[in-house]
Amino acid sequence: METLTYLLPQVWFGILALFLFLYVMLDGFDLGVGILSLTSSTEERRSILMTSLSNIWDANETWLVLMGGGLFGAFPLAYSTILNALHVPIFIMLFGLIFRAVAFEFREQANRKFFWNFAFGMGSFLAALGQGFALGGVLKGIQVDRAGHFIGTSWDWLSVPSIIVALTLIQGYVLIGSTYLIWKTEGELQKTHYKTATIAAVTTLIGAAIVTVITPIFYESARTRLFSQPLVYLFALIPLLGILLIWQLLKSLNQKKERMPFIWTILIFLLTFIGLGMVVFPYIIPTKITIYQAAADPSSLVIMIIFIGALIPVMLFYNLYQYVVFRGKITTGNYGEAE
Amino acid sequence: MLIDSHIFSHSNTFLIMEFLNNTVVLSRMQFALTASIHMLWPTLTTGVGIYLVIIEGLWLKTRNPDYYYHARFWAKLYALNFGVGVATGIPMEFQFGTNWAPFSEAVGNFFGSVIGFEASWAFMLEAAFLGIMLFGWERVNPAIHYLSTILVAIGANLSTFWILTANSWMQTPAGGEMIDGKFIVRDYFQAIFNPFTLKSVSHMFLATLETSLFVVGGISAWYLLKNRNTAFFSKSFKIALAAAIAVAPLQIYVGHLSAEQVYHYQPSKLAAMEAQWNTIPAGQPANWSLLALPNNRAEKNDWEIVVPNGLGYILELKEKLTEPVLGLKEWKPEDRPRLVGLIYYSFRTMVGIGFLLAGLMFGSVLYWLLGKLSAEKITQQRWLMRAWILAAPLGFIAIDTGWIVRCVGRQPWTLYGQIRTVDSASDLPAGNVLVALTSFTITYILLLIAYAYFGSRIIRRGPRFDLPIPEVEVTKPAIDTTPGEFVPDERPVEAKQ
Repeated sequence: METLTYLLPQVWFGILALFLFLYVMLDGFDLGVGILSLTSSTEERRSILMTSLSNIWDANETWLVLMGGGLFGAFPLAYSTILNALHVPIFIMLFGLIFRAVAFEFREQANRKFFWNFAFGMGSFLAALGQGFALGGVLKGIQVDRAGHFIGTSWDWLSVPSIIVALTLIQGYVLIGSTYLIWKTEGELQKTHYKTATIAAVTTLIGAAIVTVITPIFYESARTRLFSQPLVYLFALIPLLGILLIWQLLKSLNQKKERMPFIWTILIFLLTFIGLGMVVFPYIIPTKITIYQAAADPSSLVIMIIFIGALIPVMLFYNLYQYVVFRGKITTGNYGEAE
Repeated sequence: MLIDSHIFSHSNTFLIMEFLNNTVVLSRMQFALTASIHMLWPTLTTGVGIYLVIIEGLWLKTRNPDYYYHARFWAKLYALNFGVGVATGIPMEFQFGTNWAPFSEAVGNFFGSVIGFEASWAFMLEAAFLGIMLFGWERVNPAIHYLSTILVAIGANLSTFWILTANSWMQTPAGGEMIDGKFIVRDYFQAIFNPFTLKSVSHMFLATLETSLFVVGGISAWYLLKNRNTAFFSKSFKIALAAAIAVAPLQIYVGHLSAEQVYHYQPSKLAAMEAQWNTIPAGQPANWSLLALPNNRAEKNDWEIVVPNGLGYILELKEKLTEPVLGLKEWKPEDRPRLVGLIYYSFRTMVGIGFLLAGLMFGSVLYWLLGKLSAEKITQQRWLMRAWILAAPLGFIAIDTGWIVRCVGRQPWTLYGQIRTVDSASDLPAGNVLVALTSFTITYILLLIAYAYFGSRIIRRGPRFDLPIPEVEVTKPAIDTTPGEFVPDERPVEAKQ
């Protein structure tokens, strides 16, 4: 029983980390393509960009819903306290997601597409911005009382570091969006995104470097953890690996590889994610509430492993199947039916 | 100060100010607004999802291209609908945490898990196969495509199951107990299949189906009235009508069972639904009020039209009840629903629409039996077609009023009898919630307008008959059995013998 009270929350921390990673990776390129659409020079190009997402955007977004539901069930205290504290960034994200989601169908039907183009691009940008602020807010630390209830103010999440975190996340999304487009398109469009990918790789690197440096300076929570033996060696390894991966990415972009840039970017995301996970664990609200304090009743965690955890392979399978069905380059902007 | 407060407490400005400063009221408004508008779209995705399964099945069975074009046409409306449904659905999940943090923490053990089940069982299935259903006609073979359509429908309807399970549990919390302010689940089976679950799930399932059938029928009727593609749309009209023969009466019956549940488990809600202030003891004739003007302050109806013994017949099919019907006055004002008039009239609206739709179905069936819906005559039934067009939005109104009865009638509780609404809301600054509420109101109204505009545009353009029909034969026969060219035997007669 004693091991269960530790093991079960750890399992759920792992499952939620997986959901969050899948979300950041999949909706990351989805939102990234959306942000890139703001710079599309022609309506035809924008159509191709949206076609490349038309069949998958809702499945990608579902990982967020799954993450939310999983957090609600597995760590009710964290779900309520974090969302309560992040009311404003979550609100920004939700509005972004609403406008970009409806833009897919509304734009296809509209004669004057300007408004829905803007809704799609800006919506994607706002969703990414909200998520960045939320991440920055969580890392900064949330003011809670002894029971773990939120006692701060509604603008606590806003600070210079959280702005940098948000901007870096947006760069990261643009990077993964660009590499996704390199994979899915050809010709001039692909050429454009080799350029955007290279630029985004550099800006992401700069952002990541700043975040890596300021994390121990501004976030007291991270500081104590980062410099604790023997973890410090592991943490030292992460930036080194990161530089190696970015170098590989830039090389593959330079060699005009089609799939490798996307794969290197996913690995960079994964590495960042592992780094973040190690800073945060075993806290779910950093340095205030551990996963053990916030966890739901063991019986709930077990039933959720059966009802949600067991479905993960199935969900991964039919997501993958989707990608197989719609493999190949996107060459036209008519995703619904040929006009 | 005393004088001031006395004067202002009676003025409307003061009431509005108080209301704008009340986070709980604002959060409730936000939930009510986002839920009641969001609900309109999943209604069609679940109901029309089933309709698409029928249509595509008919195509595969008969190979009649009309059914294929039907599948493509309705799927187009479906896609429009689905996008807005997803967009408006995500805020639903997150506002439990942002606006209802204490509630979420207290019930996370069960309620949170169920929200997670919905995402993993329902959403992912629907989202993953929707792409294939909409865009995969030429990429997968017809069997896989049909499977995708079926899985999308199953996914959508599993959502109904889990959401109604979660809400039913808020009405009749079972399967565990509150310990230190948190609900601990003892028996998951009991919690999932709590007293309300099965009947509520059935009631909502039928509601989405019935609404969708009348939407499909209503849109088809519009084309018939306009004399456009009449042979084509009389097919969808008759499919919708045929399905309604079973669904509309069944819904009335299941609705009645749901009201009986309320009578047994939530007597204060029943009292509000019937604006019954005083208890009717067992063995007394139970009158039913048809129309009334409930007065909360005076705890009575200012006027009412009564059907003698009506309630007795409704609840137990006899004049006198064997069990008492409790009146609102049995509870202290703070322990019973306050918006009696809203609940009372919402209930009557829902029930009225249920009977109206069933009546329209019976009338149409009569026409059908009299041969008036035959190919030559169907376009002449102009009034019938107009009635169907008018009936198309009614299902949505019934669904929203039904939810008002269900959730406003549950007040003052979020978790019935256990957690009060006032203790459930996050302590957010009222200004934040007001900004959020205003933005949601504007956005959702904009979405409604855009949806109606683009939806009616798809309808005005009508179906496309130039789409390529996918290869029906999955495998080509290995031996070529097509007749060869006739080559006359030109050998001399002698040589043949």
